[in-house]
Amino acid sequence: MQPTSEPGLPEALHRFPKTVYTEFQKGYDESSKRLAPDQVEAWAKAGVEIAEHSFRSWESATEYFRASPLVLPKLNFEQLMLWAQWGRSLAATSPIVSSAFFRATPEVLDRIPPETIGQWAGLGKGLYRSTWKSSSLAATFFESSPKLLQSVSLFEMEELVVFIDALAQKSYDLAAECLVLADSVFTKVDRADRKAFLGLASALARNNWRDVKPYFEHAPRAIYRVEKSQRPRYLALADRLARVSGVNVVTFLNESADALAEISPEDHAEMLGLAEQLAGAAPTAVGEFLRGLPTVLDRVRGEQLVQWFDEGLRLLKENEDGGMAFFRLESGRSEQLLEALSHGINLERVKEVLTMYCRALAGQDVELQATEILKERKIGWNSAEEATTEGSNIYLPVFIDRYNSKAENFSWFKVISTHQVAHLEFGSFAFSFDRPSAVYAGREQRHTRAPIVEGRHAISDLQRFFDSFTDRRLASDIFTLVEDGRIDHRVTVEYRGIAPAYRRVQGEAVAGRPAPNTLPLREAAMELLVRLSLEEVSPLAVPKAIALQLDAIKQVMRVMQSPLATIEDTAEATIRLYEVISRLPNVLQPDPEDQEQQGMEQESNEPDMEQLEKMLQDLMAQMSQGAGQPDGEQQKYESPQKIEFRGEFKPELVQALEQLRDKQKKGQGELDTKGVSPQDLKQMLEQSVELDLTDGQEGDLDQMAAAFVDNLMNQVSQEQQQRSGQGDHFPHVPDDDAPLSAKEPQAYLYDEWDFRATDYKPRWCRVRERRMEEGSTDFFENTLRTYSGLVSKIKKQFEMLAPESMRKIKHLPDGDEYDFDLVVESIIEKLAGDTPTDKVYWRRNKVERDVAVAFLLDMSASTAEAVDESRRQPDSGDFPDDPRDYMAWLRNRREEMSRRSYKRIIDIEKESTVLLITALEAIGDHYGIYGFSGYGRENVEFYVIKDLAERFGDSVKKRLDKITPMHATRMGPAIRHAVAKLDRQDARTKLLFLLSDGRPQDRGYSREGVEKEYAVHDTRKALIEARQKRITPFCLTVDRSGHDYLKTMCADMGYEVVTDIHSLPSRLPQLYRRLTV
Amino acid sequence: MTTAPGQTKSLYRHYIIEEYQLQKEPFYLPVHDEVQVFETAYKQKLPVLLKGPTGCGKTRFVEYMSYRLGQSLATVKPKGKGGAAAAAGNGKVGMPLVTIACHEDLTASDLVGRYLLEGQETKWIDGPLSRAVKTGAICYLDEIVEARKDTTVLIHPLTDHRRMLPVEKRGEILEAHDRFLLVISYNPGYQNALKDLKHSTRQRFISLEFDYSPREIESKVIEHESGVPADVAMNLAKLGEKVRHLKEHGLQEGVSTRLLIYAGKLIAGGIPPRRACQSAVVWALTDDAEVQRSIAEVVATIFA
Repeated sequence: MQPTSEPGLPEALHRFPKTVYTEFQKGYDESSKRLAPDQVEAWAKAGVEIAEHSFRSWESATEYFRASPLVLPKLNFEQLMLWAQWGRSLAATSPIVSSAFFRATPEVLDRIPPETIGQWAGLGKGLYRSTWKSSSLAATFFESSPKLLQSVSLFEMEELVVFIDALAQKSYDLAAECLVLADSVFTKVDRADRKAFLGLASALARNNWRDVKPYFEHAPRAIYRVEKSQRPRYLALADRLARVSGVNVVTFLNESADALAEISPEDHAEMLGLAEQLAGAAPTAVGEFLRGLPTVLDRVRGEQLVQWFDEGLRLLKENEDGGMAFFRLESGRSEQLLEALSHGINLERVKEVLTMYCRALAGQDVELQATEILKERKIGWNSAEEATTEGSNIYLPVFIDRYNSKAENFSWFKVISTHQVAHLEFGSFAFSFDRPSAVYAGREQRHTRAPIVEGRHAISDLQRFFDSFTDRRLASDIFTLVEDGRIDHRVTVEYRGIAPAYRRVQGEAVAGRPAPNTLPLREAAMELLVRLSLEEVSPLAVPKAIALQLDAIKQVMRVMQSPLATIEDTAEATIRLYEVISRLPNVLQPDPEDQEQQGMEQESNEPDMEQLEKMLQDLMAQMSQGAGQPDGEQQKYESPQKIEFRGEFKPELVQALEQLRDKQKKGQGELDTKGVSPQDLKQMLEQSVELDLTDGQEGDLDQMAAAFVDNLMNQVSQEQQQRSGQGDHFPHVPDDDAPLSAKEPQAYLYDEWDFRATDYKPRWCRVRERRMEEGSTDFFENTLRTYSGLVSKIKKQFEMLAPESMRKIKHLPDGDEYDFDLVVESIIEKLAGDTPTDKVYWRRNKVERDVAVAFLLDMSASTAEAVDESRRQPDSGDFPDDPRDYMAWLRNRREEMSRRSYKRIIDIEKESTVLLITALEAIGDHYGIYGFSGYGRENVEFYVIKDLAERFGDSVKKRLDKITPMHATRMGPAIRHAVAKLDRQDARTKLLFLLSDGRPQDRGYSREGVEKEYAVHDTRKALIEARQKRITPFCLTVDRSGHDYLKTMCADMGYEVVTDIHSLPSRLPQLYRRLTV
Repeated sequence: MTTAPGQTKSLYRHYIIEEYQLQKEPFYLPVHDEVQVFETAYKQKLPVLLKGPTGCGKTRFVEYMSYRLGQSLATVKPKGKGGAAAAAGNGKVGMPLVTIACHEDLTASDLVGRYLLEGQETKWIDGPLSRAVKTGAICYLDEIVEARKDTTVLIHPLTDHRRMLPVEKRGEILEAHDRFLLVISYNPGYQNALKDLKHSTRQRFISLEFDYSPREIESKVIEHESGVPADVAMNLAKLGEKVRHLKEHGLQEGVSTRLLIYAGKLIAGGIPPRRACQSAVVWALTDDAEVQRSIAEVVATIFA
């Protein structure tokens, strides 16, 4: 067929660019094959009509013709015409849209049925709003359709268009962007959730359209983390929140989904139920609630959770800020309630009690710490859950929730810490190779055993001991069991009170253990040893093949129950048990039925050592002959299942650490022949079975051992530093709301008062106490010289205070003694007939000074300002909130300061302190001088210049020298820490003297960074707390504008604003005198 | 002025201060050689300073020594008829022991003596120190640091070769009796700048340091004094040892043997051990709730 046979049409096309005709021809060829001539004509005509429609619609026509060959196979004639019609009507709106429509059609038809093509086209058309931007959006719609339809049904697409349309009313660009994103987003959202997902998107488009894109990006991932059946509900909840102002849905989705992902999917329904309930009352709190859930659920569940929740709900109605803080878990009430409702126990809560308990039992300065800390040090302890000790401190898991009552959980804590303390108390780590054993005295075998590798230098006695065993793991397992058994027995005998709790835990430990007759023989023997060490007495089915061995094991263990038994006896017992057990083949008992019930009770009478040794020898002889031992396939020996309450026991490592500590103490010599060299240490680590080096990458054994050596060495030198009070850490900035911990020594946590919520934020600030560095005594001496006149004046004044207390008071009606002059006078009066006076006594005035005072010096950066007005630099007193900016700012400041030649506020503060010290020394009051500064709530630095109990001396003078402006002023925690110190003092009058140069301020020491009152209120609260402890606070400031906030801060407490800072040195002692007399 | 026991039937017994002697041998278990040192010091007329924490047995030691010295020396013939009658009862008594508890209001007159008014006249009354000096008793000044420093200076002439006591008000000098011995005690535990012994005082005495006895000895003491069975006494001693570990870690002072004996007495009287320890140890030691709880846990660990 020739196109010329329809002369009118091609003719008309020649008016357009050539491509139109070319495409027509291609289409014509194809359509002539498929359609009747009249139909072809209609087809062609439709194309021409499109092309002629408007100025640029020939482009659409081109696309029409181009797409036709591809479309033809999929559509019947009517549909084809309909398609063309749609195209034409789209071309009427915009040729671009129409072109896009035609272009997309072939692919789209692969996805949707041909009869729905109109529907699809209609969707695109619907987006057109006769503007240029809308046309581009519609075009985008068509362009992205093929891809989109891969994941979306046409029906869903309708929904999407509704949303896009809504969004387009706000921003076309965004709408277009979302259209493009849509396909990748939809593949991530389950079919069932798409409606809700889009519904929420539309809601966002209406209310917070800017959130839409982040929503598109983040929501799918969030939704995916929620349990499947709960997703619609979750989205509905988010939808509900989206309609409320003040809730950022994207943040909500991200955070709440993260939180939900952390809790078990089974709980999602219940938690969302609560969240829905909360949404009705306070939509803004829902996010906080869900975010805190993982923490909350760790502690309370079910009934208790609802109780906690209801309380929060109640609080929300009363005080919104309070309720929010409650759900944010930043309120004391919330914390207390959780604590009361929860069965579990946090180490943090019982740390103090248990620390003292352990110290009492151990008789040494043990610290209690979380096991995580030890794990983080990477010195060989790998478990964060098991209790353990490294010879000086005790490490416990942070949270215990094994039982359904607090009492039982505490009892568990007590048992596991007692077990660890017992290692220290009963000398598990004191093994000495040469010290004689106690019960095996005279029968020691360890001296005669040959080491497996000759001539190796052993770091510790234990290493030397273990060096004589071929199967180190087996020896170590036996040693651990025997020693743990010895320790536990000693505890239950020595400490009768804890015995019941111990027995219970031991019983529970037995309950989950494998039956010996199901194990290969060697492991079965070990299992029996486990049970004996747990003092399990109920009869047990034992493989017949090891009945004899069991008897021997029993007797050896019986010996270890002697109250005399020491760690050296453990070693001897280990040798004997090893000889027996290692001779057992690790094969399964051929006939599982071949077993007998064996009683496990120990005989009550004292064992006869002679007999025991003989019996062991006989048994060994018998075993060496292989009598009665079953054959079978040797299995790899597996250590017995762990016994949880005993935690980890690593005596070899502990001894190595001890050696290092010794060495550190003796001197800093890097290498010495007698001590521990890194090589020795490394060798030991590689040998020891206590260190699971194989845990990591294979082959890197060498490297890992080296790393451990480094860590161990570091550990010891750090300990050393801590002991000498050095070691500086620069502030690190945690996430804003992350809970703090005070795991390191000399760190203390304090609550902070949130005046909006009228509640404390529990454990919100961390105070690090440290000694001030020592400088020279020059500052002190110079000050005394400069102010020599004032010094002697003050001294005199104060000395006069003291003798006042000893003055004699005469003319008293009763007292210590007669005043003889008065007595004589009285007698004379009497003889003369007068009424004699009866006031003939004297007594000493008994006013006694019993004062303890803590001075708190503000060491904030602003104290670096010049005292002299003319030199004062403009300084806002504010500093950058961002830690990085802050550091830069700080560096500048420090440089400036080093160039200074003028007197700063802090210098005056220091001078005043010097004068005060002389005064206080004259009068003999107890006093402490402290400085504080810090940056952020996790780094409140508290410098000790002179502790209350410390005596005044050169080192105090030297420390005074080093007082220098530091960072910010977070007064609350510093005050609380000083108050805690004063509270431990035993004095009649207690004073807290706060010397500052401005209002309290710090990073995050305000709500949303704006409310200065927050800091003031917290400080005020801290001062009130002081008063409740019968400590009189007094604030002295050199800030002239101090009146405004001091009025709030110290409303009914003493304060003074020193307007002329130069008067401070004389004013301070004066004030002090007035306060304490 | 004062009635000796046995003379009249009174509801209470009282003694003239310098005539108080121990009738029965007090129970004391020597820990080291303190008994020999003290005896030698006595023979050489050297004053003795006893240092040690509260309730560790300082006073008991002095009582024991006064009894023991009384035995080895010729029996003192006390003044006054009643005293003689009482002493004659068994003939085995200690030497007189004058105990003075020092306090901050203790004045020189309280020690040496004072004038009293009687009618129109003044009458001199000897203070306990004068009496001890005159009669040759052991004078025991307990907790000497509690006395004011000006008071403490008074005893200086008694402690060196002079062995005399000036009585200013009467213009006399008392020479010490041959048997006289001055013993003072103090507790270095709650030492502070204000309450420390002056060196001029401290260097006039030979010192005996006391501490809580080791577990084995202490348990015997507790057993003897309170009448509890040996195992309970042992547990109490164990408790003592453990609680003393907490000194300076929450406790200012360790638990005294005295308190442990009290606990033992409560137990012997039928109070359950944990409750007895709560009253006699936990609550007695501290007001700090955390520390109380810690000690209570130790108690619960030791006592069933």
